[in-house]
Amino acid sequence: MARSLTRRLFLVGSALVGGALVVGGGLAWRRLDGAARHRPATGPGETALTPWFKLTPDNRLVVFVPRQDMGQGILSMLAQIVAEELDFDWARVTAEQAGIHPAYANTIVLADGSPPALRGMMENVAKLIGVQMTGGSTSVRDAWGAMRHAAAAARAVLVEAAAARWQLPASDLAIERGIVRHAASGRAAPLAEFATDAAARALPGSPTPKPPAAWRLLGTSPLRLDIPDKVRGVARFGIDVRPQDTTDTTGGLLYAAVRHIPLVRGELQDVRWPGGKPPPAVLHEVRGRDWLAVIAKSWWEAERALGQAELVAGGASATTVSSARLRAQYRAVLDGEDDPKKLPDLGRPIRRVFNAYGDPDRALAAAAEKARFSADYAVPFLAHVPMEPLNCTARIREGKVDVWVGNQAPTIVQWLAAGVCDVPAEAVTVHTPWLGGGFGRRFDLEVIRQALACAKVTDGRPVQLIWSRREDIQHDAYRPMVAARMTATFDAAGQIALWQHEMVGPSVSKSVMGRMNPMLAGDYPPDVTNAEGAMHLPYRFAHFRCRHAQVDLPVPTGYWRSVGNGYNAFFVETFIDELAQAMKRDPYLLRRELLAEAPRHRAVLEAAVSAARWNAPLPGMGWGRGLALAESFKSIVAMVVDVEVIDQKVHVRRVVSAVDCGRALDPGNVRAQIAGGAIMGLTAALKDAITLEEGRVVQSNLHDYPLMTLAECPHFETVIVNSGAALGGVGEIGVPPAAPALGNAIFAATGKRLREMPFRLT
Amino acid sequence: MTRFTVNGRPADVDAPPDKPLLWVLREDLGLVGTKYGCGIAACGACTVLVDGQAVRSCVTPVSEVAGKRVSTIEGLAEEGPQAAVAQAVQRAWIEAQVPQCGYCQPGFITAATALLAQNRAPTEAEIEAALTNLCRCGTYPAMRVALRRAVELTQKGQG
Repeated sequence: MARSLTRRLFLVGSALVGGALVVGGGLAWRRLDGAARHRPATGPGETALTPWFKLTPDNRLVVFVPRQDMGQGILSMLAQIVAEELDFDWARVTAEQAGIHPAYANTIVLADGSPPALRGMMENVAKLIGVQMTGGSTSVRDAWGAMRHAAAAARAVLVEAAAARWQLPASDLAIERGIVRHAASGRAAPLAEFATDAAARALPGSPTPKPPAAWRLLGTSPLRLDIPDKVRGVARFGIDVRPQDTTDTTGGLLYAAVRHIPLVRGELQDVRWPGGKPPPAVLHEVRGRDWLAVIAKSWWEAERALGQAELVAGGASATTVSSARLRAQYRAVLDGEDDPKKLPDLGRPIRRVFNAYGDPDRALAAAAEKARFSADYAVPFLAHVPMEPLNCTARIREGKVDVWVGNQAPTIVQWLAAGVCDVPAEAVTVHTPWLGGGFGRRFDLEVIRQALACAKVTDGRPVQLIWSRREDIQHDAYRPMVAARMTATFDAAGQIALWQHEMVGPSVSKSVMGRMNPMLAGDYPPDVTNAEGAMHLPYRFAHFRCRHAQVDLPVPTGYWRSVGNGYNAFFVETFIDELAQAMKRDPYLLRRELLAEAPRHRAVLEAAVSAARWNAPLPGMGWGRGLALAESFKSIVAMVVDVEVIDQKVHVRRVVSAVDCGRALDPGNVRAQIAGGAIMGLTAALKDAITLEEGRVVQSNLHDYPLMTLAECPHFETVIVNSGAALGGVGEIGVPPAAPALGNAIFAATGKRLREMPFRLT
Repeated sequence: MTRFTVNGRPADVDAPPDKPLLWVLREDLGLVGTKYGCGIAACGACTVLVDGQAVRSCVTPVSEVAGKRVSTIEGLAEEGPQAAVAQAVQRAWIEAQVPQCGYCQPGFITAATALLAQNRAPTEAEIEAALTNLCRCGTYPAMRVALRRAVELTQKGQG
């Protein structure tokens, strides 16, 4: 079990290091071969024609969504795609979480992370291991292949079945709002009436989905299916799970609170309680490598009891690491230091060139001192802080394991639980409730391991383990600290000759996979997520190089909404603004000129600038306007930010964006995601840092890791550019341009160039 | 034993007097619509009404609500003098499609209801001063639209 788990995780990890880079597109749903024959369980009279949906006798469409909804609206979005192909009335559509099955694998997230030469292989790997995963802004792109084509195939056999029963040519039948109609005779019947007949027919291998011109639902924003329950407060998140089971004679749900040793790295050596024993509320103590959990009848009591415990750390603790020390070592790495003795927290860096063209060395050598321009940038560690703190509910009873957890990869949760409990994967049921935010945080498995460890000692009683917000902030897998040195040279005509992007940081994928399984923490393939948003720029230069020095950190790091794109856009888009200033050029016009070979990017930039009235005067003194452009997850966003700086305090007044994600399938939700992503990016730029001192995280809750409030939130306008290009992701793309557009606006207002996040004006 | 009413129904709770109302609601009364976010009254996910006032239940000992009326998201639009306002707020929230992950929304909706129940025509500044809850998904722009609509609906007396 352990070995095969390692192998499977390694395959996943090898793919993930690539991030989600290449659009799959056009994958026929038949690629799933045998898996496509899977049918979800149905009730009396219901028919499932594909793995993804069923029709009920009263002509309702129930869509099984194999992706996790953390607020991005994917449950409703994928249902909308199916409903479009079947021409169903939106009021008759519902959606449910799908179970775990290889048919539901996300093949885009795996295959597209791989280097081009390995893509075909990784696609096959994805089929074989069948991982359901939500990340890399891939869900719609994946469904666009499999789910949409499956729905189109089902539509075809439903129409055939109706034609056969009515003895009419299929081409004379139409579907309107879930009703099959024959216009000439006026015959009409609900689609569901033909479901049984249709199920007996072979699904076409190459069905034709509807062309965009025929869409009724896609391209509009019907009420998201999840919203009414969320407004009424009846949507159930992981933390709200209350396993109800009439056969349960064990006494019902118990709660566990958890505390980690205060250090970012180390082991739990001992636990000291006042008086030598825990308070009476504590029913069980469970110890892990670097944590203690206590189980009680109330989470509040368990948490209160933990307040009395002294956790003694030992082992190879990182007791001296600090953000300042890491910064100094990062700087040394940028200066070329390779000696591990001088880099005690980092070890010997692995230096890689992720992309280069032209002749960067010659360009550097040729440029006189005054024809070079260089600037150093840095971003701190960041916590994810989903509003719902991490939690997991687990029950181990009679050889069966139930896990209720907001997660981003139920297949991996199932593997983990099977391994931990030593049962076959089929004995594990993973229940995925609503996720109260994700942002990459719910890839991590530690909370699940902890809950399972607790469930092992409660004789079949379910246990709900919840991290306090303090644990969440102090023991996250953070967006990494990264430092960059950006260099440009100018040619004799004063134009940019060389663009060089050098940076230092850890491999996030290595950290993530190493936590999933320590056997994976050794040598690791190059992590493309480090360089996404830096290695392929739409701007064209004569000479280009993107270098990365990979270091190991004593701090766990994780995927954080937009991953490498988030900080790389800050470096790239701030630096280009600096160059415009040095060249005495308008930052918009310089970008536009460099986009000569990137018409889509140019169109998006122009759309944002035009909507924002880039050249219109600002309201008054202290105001500034800044611009940034970033491609991520195959979508392009340009953002114009207006700020007002009063007494050194930054007020973000307006954010105007233009977005090209190919086509906006739900424009309202695209706007919501752009604003949400931008708010996350602005929050990071203005407010937040996780800082380390003496091996500990300084921040501990939302008072010292604050979030943007309603009062601070700017006015948003978002223009959608429907280029018709292949679909791009939407859930993360609002983040990257926000911080640089803001920094550039602050520069315009104050003349202060901010090269480190969070921005400090004084 | 602490006695109070929740959503119009009497509740007798056998919990330590210093147990926060949030955990009494979630653990003892099974009302899980009220959320835990920070435990230090910073985020407002735990907002409930106590005698019509918005309070952060994660720092409110249950003993403080003895004999009082508590309204949670489960009963906000069903019962009590604020019910019609809550209906208007929820309707506006659905029309503007405010929630993303949805976790913080009960707290916001409760705080907005408390504000509009006391002030039918709040200024932008009054709204911003009353709604200091936190949302990580960034639903504020849609929330602004919903708040304007909720004010309109409340003034028209429509839920």
